Amino acid sequence: MSALIELEGVVKQFPGDTEPVLAGISLEVGRGELVALIGPSGCGKSTVLNILAGLIRVTSGTLRINDRDARVSYVFQRPRLLPWRKVRRNVEFSLEQADVTGAARRRAAEAAIERVNLTGHEDKYPHQLSGGMQQRVALARGLAIEPSVLLLDEPFGALDALTRSYMQEELLGIVRGTGTTALLVTHDIDEALLLADRVLVMSSRPGRIKHELRVPFGTERSLDALLQDPEYGRIRSELRHLLRPEVVEELNG
Amino acid sequence: MVDELRTRVTARRGGASHRRRALRLSPRLLVRLLLFLTAIGVLFLAWVLGSHHYPDYILPGPQPVWDSFTSMLDRGVWARQVEATLGHMFTAYGITIGIGLPLGILIGRFWVVEDLSRALLIFLQTVPTIVLIVLALIFVGTTATGVIAVTVASCLPYFTLNVIQGTKSIDRDLIDMARSYRAGELTIMRSIIVPSVVPYFLAGGRITLGVAWQVTLFGEYLMGTPGIGFQVSAAIKLLDTPSVYAWGLSVVGLTIAFEYGVFRPVEAVLTRHMRRAE
Ligand SMILES: Nc1ncnc2c1ncn2[C@@H]1O[C@H](COP(=O)(O)OP(=O)(O)OP(=O)(O)O)[C@@H](O)[C@H]1O
Ligand SMILES: [Mg+2]
Repeated sequence: MSALIELEGVVKQFPGDTEPVLAGISLEVGRGELVALIGPSGCGKSTVLNILAGLIRVTSGTLRINDRDARVSYVFQRPRLLPWRKVRRNVEFSLEQADVTGAARRRAAEAAIERVNLTGHEDKYPHQLSGGMQQRVALARGLAIEPSVLLLDEPFGALDALTRSYMQEELLGIVRGTGTTALLVTHDIDEALLLADRVLVMSSRPGRIKHELRVPFGTERSLDALLQDPEYGRIRSELRHLLRPEVVEELNG
Repeated sequence: MVDELRTRVTARRGGASHRRRALRLSPRLLVRLLLFLTAIGVLFLAWVLGSHHYPDYILPGPQPVWDSFTSMLDRGVWARQVEATLGHMFTAYGITIGIGLPLGILIGRFWVVEDLSRALLIFLQTVPTIVLIVLALIFVGTTATGVIAVTVASCLPYFTLNVIQGTKSIDRDLIDMARSYRAGELTIMRSIIVPSVVPYFLAGGRITLGVAWQVTLFGEYLMGTPGIGFQVSAAIKLLDTPSVYAWGLSVVGLTIAFEYGVFRPVEAVLTRHMRRAE
């Protein structure tokens, strides 16, 4: 069985730039797999997701999503909510595009709002919510359509530590429970190791996949159990050492 | 100050907690209300005192102006003329919005349309109204159509430029978000572009309404088309200055009535999602 998402030798250079942002990215994400993409700021992680979401074209290389009926949800780095819609209607936006109507739409929106723990805030406008709450609305909008492909761009970056770990567990439950295929961009090594089946490490710009790591902790994970595991500390510092020179490089331009 | 009053009034729609606040007139608000009323009182006093020093055909006092107003009201002249003027103005206003809204959005979205319409907009923005009026006289004569045409021509650039600005300032990220969920152009137009343009639509609508009043009256005055403008010109010829003042104040009253009776309530509904200064 072929992978659900395949990128092959993808190069992306924005008009007017002298050097490409992505210099030949190849990656696969299997059905039901959760892959984390980790790398220094500005290396092109969001660009990879934008390409997968069909928002920008590749300069060269190929991109395949091997399912014509794939429902793709993209949770952006910033919430991107419609300011003139209340929470409920913002969540319903994705459902409207998926032609879910009437009572089914309302129920799906309510369920998604409950998943991100925002029940009771349905009738607020985005500006009445904190940044972290707005990001959870965006997550609910993405989850409401029960996507087969979930693109996540640092979705928990704006959350406090406790909410983050709650949302991480929730996400893990959803992805495992529904067989969703997910590509998660993150800065956070712990998050990658907690959630992902595989971790892809990107180099600084021009972005390449520099290293791939299979996470050996099985599917039933919790942060507490990981912290007990000596293997966890070893992998964690391996990733840190892989990322460190890239971050230094990026900072020095 | 008046703005603040409005906020209190519209806040009343917002449920019980707002209602309680709306009823409480803060001391600061009370002071400002008093200052406002004082200013009106001073102006009125100046008018009364001034009118003693000038003959009625230059500066009539409040009494003759009031008499002129009530007489026009009794004879049905006031209602008839106001109706005619409002008819001209709102027809022109409606046409302006009907053309300007889609035009502005198209110009803001597509540079081809922008380049094609630039010359016309610059022309309409710069050509003197008086020339437009003469052109209208030549082409359509002294009819209501002429007044409406001149008003539309004068208002269109103001309104359209606001809509263009609004369309250009749309958050591209929201459009990308919609695209990522496979939203079509129509959905993007309806769910993102039009709501984004609303504040600019309102700003443009307000400026345009001011322009529409001026140009409609001016047009009626010069073209001799029935309406307030024509009444003013007739009154001047008869040296009936009290009527001129009565009409002038009538327009002030109508403008205020429209602002608070229609414009602000519509604005409050259309911008209800926005953060309000507390
Ligand atoms: N639409 C665009 N036009 C031109 N340059 C772009 C565009 N989008 C991204 N870039 C550039 O591409 C590079 C990578 O951007 P990208 O947003 O993918 O980085 P990132 O890895 O997601 O960074 P971060 O972790 O800070 O979010 C940056 O240098 C950015 O300036
Ligand atoms: Mg990014």
